Amino acid sequence: MTTHTPLLIIGTGFAGIGLAMKLKRRGINDFILIERSDDVGGTWRDNRYPGAACDVPSHLYSYSFKLKSDWTRVFAPATEIWEYIRWCAQDEGIMPHIRFNTNLLDATWDEVGTLWRVQTSQGEYTANVVVTAMGHLADEKYPPIDGIETFTGEKFHSARWDHSAHLDGKRIAVVGSGASAIQIIPEMQKVAQQLIVFQRSAPYVIPRPDRAYTHAEQRRFARDPASMEALRSELFWGMEYNYAQRRAVPKSIAEAYSMANGHRNNQVTDPEVMAKLTPDYEIGCKRILISDVYYPAMQARNVHIEASALERVEGTTLVSAEGNSYEVDAVVFATGFEAIEPPFAPLIHGRDGLALSEYWSQGMQALDSTTVAGFPNLFIMNGPNTGLGHNSVIYVVESQIDYIVGGIEFMRGARASVIEARPESESEYVEAVIERSAGTVWLTGGCKNWYVDYRTNRLTVTWPDFAYAFRDSNGEFEPAHYSVA
Amino acid sequence: MGIVLTKDPVAEGEVSVDGATVRYYDSIEARGKRNPIVLVHGTTGSTAVHYGYLFPMLATRQRVISVDLGMPAGELTIDSFRRQVEAVIDNLLAGQKVTLVGYSLGAVVAATVAAARPETIENLILVAGWAKTDSQQLLRNSVWNALYESGNKDALAQFTVFCAFGNPFVGARTLEELAPAIKAVNVTEFGAAQMQLNRDIDIADRLDKITANTLVVGCTYDQMVPNRHSRDLFGATENARYTEIPSGHAVVFERPAELHKQIDNFAANPSRHPAGTIIPTVKP
Repeated sequence: MTTHTPLLIIGTGFAGIGLAMKLKRRGINDFILIERSDDVGGTWRDNRYPGAACDVPSHLYSYSFKLKSDWTRVFAPATEIWEYIRWCAQDEGIMPHIRFNTNLLDATWDEVGTLWRVQTSQGEYTANVVVTAMGHLADEKYPPIDGIETFTGEKFHSARWDHSAHLDGKRIAVVGSGASAIQIIPEMQKVAQQLIVFQRSAPYVIPRPDRAYTHAEQRRFARDPASMEALRSELFWGMEYNYAQRRAVPKSIAEAYSMANGHRNNQVTDPEVMAKLTPDYEIGCKRILISDVYYPAMQARNVHIEASALERVEGTTLVSAEGNSYEVDAVVFATGFEAIEPPFAPLIHGRDGLALSEYWSQGMQALDSTTVAGFPNLFIMNGPNTGLGHNSVIYVVESQIDYIVGGIEFMRGARASVIEARPESESEYVEAVIERSAGTVWLTGGCKNWYVDYRTNRLTVTWPDFAYAFRDSNGEFEPAHYSVA
Repeated sequence: MGIVLTKDPVAEGEVSVDGATVRYYDSIEARGKRNPIVLVHGTTGSTAVHYGYLFPMLATRQRVISVDLGMPAGELTIDSFRRQVEAVIDNLLAGQKVTLVGYSLGAVVAATVAAARPETIENLILVAGWAKTDSQQLLRNSVWNALYESGNKDALAQFTVFCAFGNPFVGARTLEELAPAIKAVNVTEFGAAQMQLNRDIDIADRLDKITANTLVVGCTYDQMVPNRHSRDLFGATENARYTEIPSGHAVVFERPAELHKQIDNFAANPSRHPAGTIIPTVKP
């Protein structure tokens, strides 16, 4: 049985739910969302490892059109963010539009029918327009490690935390030193008999100005929503300031070093540990992390820092690149996500059956970071150059929502059955992004990071400019950049 | 004098005007089709102090030149500063159209340059500026002067921070967090001369000579140059638009990224909003 819908949205994280909310508010109700899991929330449904939280303050990491007055803390824990998305979906009537446990298997453009044929684990859908709303952090990445399959203990990725695993009193290894790892490590340190941290490169860490909101504050936010908007504005522009670090502005780099080095000097006493925790690359090349509990945990008596990669596994023995061996009962992979080659790209086939992954074989690219020549009536959220290292990605998501709603309203107003990015417009946009990237620390800072495509050395994941410039550039659908039929 | 503004070297030079040494900084590289931007700092400021953030970030989009105003040999008037900025423009940008940006006293200077050189100043941005000093400014100036004369540097520095930053900014921080800003206050004789100059500003009769596309930026919580002055400039300047940033007078420290957006957007397309528009404050 085939289900037809004018508009199919794939994914129910911040992107999919936010788009659905805006559509409904604009009076557009003829859409379906499909979701591979059994609940909304995307990365916040998946990433519920101990200590999971967001590194962007919650009053900013939320929809500007759906403010929440009662965030419990400046940096709300992951479950509260998940609850927020669920509340949004329920409160705005999105739930009836969602088909859960429906996994995307293939989406192919039907030239004759001028629509998308979408195969899912629950049957076929046809849709005039498809929006992919999968996240940057949707699919976990494991490093290639020899013998990993021989490991006999508990092993899982941070995004697929096994809450049934018994970790108390065990010998635990955490592989990684990124944003997830530094949240997990302090929690594992509390329960492990011994904790081994495999760290390829030390992160820069700055203080986390977290605190609980008082009841009085929450009620003020509720009674005076303008005060929430004022806080949001202050948080946004405060984070936006840090973009200058990515341009290696001397004043900003000096401030960032001062903050990160000061924090490390305040919290780390042991000189040997200090050597291992001192980064060897220019600040800002990778995400600057925030934590007040990471350094203390790393110096605890039951923690050992292996300052090299995990190279191979032999049964319950983990061997590092430097040849050190450790016996452990459990391994947590905090090794990040597939962002450079999004796993949905091989499933999408445009004109002439070309797979999006083929079209992107030299790296992701799209017009206005959203649409691709040869893939008509397809909008991609969280696609090329939509990540932010310095500010709230929700701002980018909302910009894309405005763009896509504009595109859909244009199509309906113009009675267009097919719109497609003009190849020359796409190329022009890609050139402009390359120009923006030149001189950013991601390309000049001398560190491995997950924002740069390994095949071309082009920055394809992160937006290489202020966040505001993303909205200026990509916040409004521009019909002139499309061929319309 | 070796201030480091960008990671790439910036050209430096100086011109002599009325016995004043006027230093300038020049990012040199033109980018895209935009006019070069010329920056004029405010009272007791300098390129390094007021534009340490904006200079390098704006230089990623267009050529940027910044002026360090100097003390003339004779009497200091607003026209001394006007001639200094004109001299730098003549020296580096002869025959070119310019986007001129002034902050605080620098906005007063920039307005006089735009009035005198309408053929050169195509676009004008006046940040936290004013046309005619009022009683509120005079009262603050008098207290400032009394503290300066008293030699109580600590009180002077605290008073400066108290006035410069917006009340939401100051109120949300501990005294410890504010200490570096207080410590950074440094008043020279030249700075005191500028404070004296600020008492007698009256350029109201020059504003109708400004033909440039003008953006007036007021600061919501400004206690030094309350934003009604910016609204006066908006009314008095023929081709002006107005926008507001929720900041104190010290917007170059409190909200530099937001100010960057306003300058960036206007420099990219000065006539995007017609004259007379109040451009809404950004709600991120």
